[in-house]
Amino acid sequence: MSTQSYFPVPPGVGMEENFLSLDDILLSHERLPVRTECSFPRLGFLERSSDAHDIPEGTKMELPLWLSKGLYERKRKVLSVDLPKVYKEGWRTVFTADPCVVDLHKMGPYYYGLGSQILHFDSPENSDIAQALLQTFIGRFRRTMDSSQNAYNEDTSALVERLDSLEKALFRSGQNGLNSFQSWEKGQASQLTASSLVLNYRKRKLADVQT
Amino acid sequence: MDPSEVEFLAEKELVKIIPNFSLDKIFLIGGDLGPFNPGLSVDVPLWLALNLKQRQKCRILPPDWMDVEKLEEMRALERKEDAFTPVPSLYYMEITKLLLNHASDNIPKADEIRTLVKDIWDTRIAKLRLSADSFINQQEAHAQLDNLTLMEINTTREFLLDSLNFMFKLRSNLQPGSSKGQLTDY
Repeated sequence: MSTQSYFPVPPGVGMEENFLSLDDILLSHERLPVRTECSFPRLGFLERSSDAHDIPEGTKMELPLWLSKGLYERKRKVLSVDLPKVYKEGWRTVFTADPCVVDLHKMGPYYYGLGSQILHFDSPENSDIAQALLQTFIGRFRRTMDSSQNAYNEDTSALVERLDSLEKALFRSGQNGLNSFQSWEKGQASQLTASSLVLNYRKRKLADVQT
Repeated sequence: MDPSEVEFLAEKELVKIIPNFSLDKIFLIGGDLGPFNPGLSVDVPLWLALNLKQRQKCRILPPDWMDVEKLEEMRALERKEDAFTPVPSLYYMEITKLLLNHASDNIPKADEIRTLVKDIWDTRIAKLRLSADSFINQQEAHAQLDNLTLMEINTTREFLLDSLNFMFKLRSNLQPGSSKGQLTDY
């Protein structure tokens, strides 16, 4: 029986975010290229390339996703968000040509997550981006599935290194299914093992003694 | 679901045994068993059969389908057809494993049967993967799982459900405005 002492909050994927998901917190720190549409007085320290006191209108800079999402408004233009290059037309053609050859870990590693978040900023290419994300996932699905369900008892680091963080989570659940079936088949499932809670409890006690 | 839970469910399947002791009918919540007479075959659930076997109180008669010729036929059919073929028992994998591990001396050609069942299993899993792929590829909304057994569904369930969930989210991105309401109160 699989016992976990800690259940991580899964990432929200898509437009919404899970507040307590570590993946989504890391995702919100991805930088986006933005262009200011009005001047930001006294915020010059945010822009390290110049010593000016204010950020003038029309400055190009990079802001983290959480900040750009907060500042972006459809009615009052505060800043306009540019697409990161992986979501631009040129890269989208690469993804549609053969999604399997792309190293999403290097591109992302939150390719799907960030791509869905970018849809918050009204860009004329939004529907193309959403379509490209879906098609990329579908194109890469077979490879993720096959590698996760066939790699038994071997080093998987080569298989996962090119996967997006969400695909990695899928890979892990595929491995879970495979491993539990294999251990049942080998008869290991009928052996009794100590619960992870008990093991952790002992560890904690030792730590208490030392302090 | 854990494979050992599936195995537990499989232990309710009936098998024929030939006991070498005599005992009156026994009354259990799941139903009445027996009476047991030496040399007369009787249907009991798998768990009891294995327990009696381990205490050397009976001989287990393998189920009809657990036969090299029948299994070879099944394997050929399974390889020929694109769809899943009907299986002899919904718990064929579990029953084979339990019987072969605990009562292989009562089953003729145990090794061959083990290989055949494993072959059938592998063919079916490959098919399952193929159909999962086309399911995702064509973005179907539902699929028919005829003739699939619980153990087979169980090995791929976690992965498939996670991917479908994920794909649904990516697809809901396609309809703008479907979840944008949440942004305004950010």
